[in-house]
Amino acid sequence: MSTENTGFLYPFIDAEERDAGPLLASLAASARLKARESAVLQLATLGTCADQIAACAAAMAGRFAAGGRMYAFGNGGSSTDCATFAELFARPPEGRPRGYRALPAMNLAADQAVVTALGNDVGFDLIFSRQIIAHSSPRDIAVAFSTSGSSRDLTTALREASGRGLLTVGFAGYDGGEMARSDAVGYCFVVRSQSVHRIQESQALLGYQLWARTQEALKALREEATS
Amino acid sequence: MTAGAPAAAGIAPDILDHGLATDLAAAALAIARRFHAGATLWCAAPAWEPHAHHMAVEFVHPVIVGKRALPAFALSGPDLAAQARVAVHAGDLLIAVAAAHDPAAADVMRRAPAWGAHTIWIGSGPRPPGGAADHVLWIGDSDPLTPATGRFVLLYHLLWELTHVCFEHPGLLTAPEPGECAEEVCITCSDEGRLGEVIEPPAGPLDRALIRTADGEEPVDVSLVAPVAPGDLVLVHAGAALTRPA
Repeated sequence: MSTENTGFLYPFIDAEERDAGPLLASLAASARLKARESAVLQLATLGTCADQIAACAAAMAGRFAAGGRMYAFGNGGSSTDCATFAELFARPPEGRPRGYRALPAMNLAADQAVVTALGNDVGFDLIFSRQIIAHSSPRDIAVAFSTSGSSRDLTTALREASGRGLLTVGFAGYDGGEMARSDAVGYCFVVRSQSVHRIQESQALLGYQLWARTQEALKALREEATS
Repeated sequence: MTAGAPAAAGIAPDILDHGLATDLAAAALAIARRFHAGATLWCAAPAWEPHAHHMAVEFVHPVIVGKRALPAFALSGPDLAAQARVAVHAGDLLIAVAAAHDPAAADVMRRAPAWGAHTIWIGSGPRPPGGAADHVLWIGDSDPLTPATGRFVLLYHLLWELTHVCFEHPGLLTAPEPGECAEEVCITCSDEGRLGEVIEPPAGPLDRALIRTADGEEPVDVSLVAPVAPGDLVLVHAGAALTRPA
């Protein structure tokens, strides 16, 4: 160590730092600030997307009512968020509102045999589009989760799905990327933020709202049919 | 931060209250310290497995370029305790996203001290009993749909973000935590005994059992708690299993 006492200039890189109190206090304050930012972004996003959510939910309900299935896909953390979204449809938790039903929804990243076979044989960009080709019918729904909005494997799959008549839905962040500009994406929900984490937190709530609205729309369709 | 800022109108002020923020900060420092000492993070979410995978990928492949990749795995599959038992080494971290009544999560949290794992439990609804994990990060909201609304995602995102802030404080990564035993002999610990998990029951009535504790595997006299079966939990003191945990 240098004999010069310069630690006061760099309190946060000081290897001699011993009292964790100030760090813990600043971590807690930072956590609360970020949580507030996340909540503000969620509210703003839900506000901006309200009409789109209602329209998309109505379209999805129509597909499900006609016997369609939903395919959800994404990369990395977004693949897990799309898995949660798909599970919400396929395996809604006990205690959900009355009349909310389980609906056929699959997470296309879930099967390691299929994903690695396609990645190895035809390339990573085609891991989801090849599954759309194999599985889909025109009454189905394709939902992609992305933060950039431009991942090639997702945009390729949405293009394939759109060409086959599927209802296509994209979740994106930043400025919406390729998904927001593409005519292959029927409904594109853009979370306008530069932070991957804050984008994913808003997408989760958007997805939840889309699920709830779809369930309400399906209930209304059933009531119409029986009245 | 000013309370009631205009942009926050309509947002519950307790989206992350002071208590939870304080708990998150303490958990982040504990995680950073254990990673610094060579830990692997094991992630479980028995009822909502995508959360386990999301937590693991945060640490393995950081979204912010330049942040360290850290060893983290999702534990998913039918028998969480069996997987965790073989995966977890002493000094590792075990994090679960689960309700307090989730039997698989509660089971691994109960066993973790015998494996020497430091535990973090994220959930919502009724809280787990006191001492159920080293760090309990809890949302009071009892809505069964909470796991799908992004609130847990926020918590583990923050945990990752704060953990990486801690790495910028090298002087704090090796310091003992408040309340942690820094001495060889600790009156509190020696009175309570150490949690152990039976690996092999005694071969005969006069033999000892092989028990796993945070300190490793050791032969232990189990005559006071006999008979024992593999997986049973016992409290070990001075080479003997005195009782079973409540």
